[in-house]
Amino acid sequence: METLSTEEVEKEVTAIVAEVTELDREEIWQKREANFFKELEIDSLLALEILALIEKKFKIQIPEEKLVDITSLTGTINMTKAVLSENGRLKGEPQKA
Amino acid sequence: MGINFEEVRRLVPQRYPFLFIDKVVELEEGKRILCLKNVSGNESFFVGHFPEYAIMPGVLTLEALAQASIILFKKSFLKEETSNSVFLLASLRASFVKPVFPGDQLLLEVNVEKVVSKGAIVQGTARVGEEIVAKASLTFGLADKSSLG
Repeated sequence: METLSTEEVEKEVTAIVAEVTELDREEIWQKREANFFKELEIDSLLALEILALIEKKFKIQIPEEKLVDITSLTGTINMTKAVLSENGRLKGEPQKA
Repeated sequence: MGINFEEVRRLVPQRYPFLFIDKVVELEEGKRILCLKNVSGNESFFVGHFPEYAIMPGVLTLEALAQASIILFKKSFLKEETSNSVFLLASLRASFVKPVFPGDQLLLEVNVEKVVSKGAIVQGTARVGEEIVAKASLTFGLADKSSLG
């Protein structure tokens, strides 16, 4: 499976979040620490859409308990990196045996 | 496995004139459902849509797909439901391909794309015979009524 750089993950996840939230990529990146639900008025069920699109984009399975990490763009990026890393798919990280 | 109208009524919270499933033809729990809705010229919505030209509102075809999704979710994933729970549609992407007229038999097929304990993303297709009349991606969830303000 393809390995991805940190920058690629950030770019793709930002694009997915921008698509689901209907915010401009630049705008959502500027507000990457903002809480989706409290500050950006995003419905909590849209987190499920974000999760499904990340799974499809990176061809990974994300367990339901990770949904709670989808509360900001930064949180979503970090969660994606963690799952990719667990699967040995993040560049610059030691590959798992 | 099919489900008759009496069980449909037990599973779907909507009632006349807003219940748009007559029966479940096929159900693969956790994966797929195929429902049927016979569209009669006596449907209440034809009174106003339109007085001179009866055509089923496309949004009601989507509502029928949403109701099929509720049955699939309840039969497949829902372990506990309280009277405080309500199904809410969070987002919808739809396209309408052909109009639906009195006398048509709507076949409503829903496939699960992603599911979690309190919601799901599904892909729905409505057909009349072999012809697709509408397609939609629906994201819905179960919410507590008290949280809705």
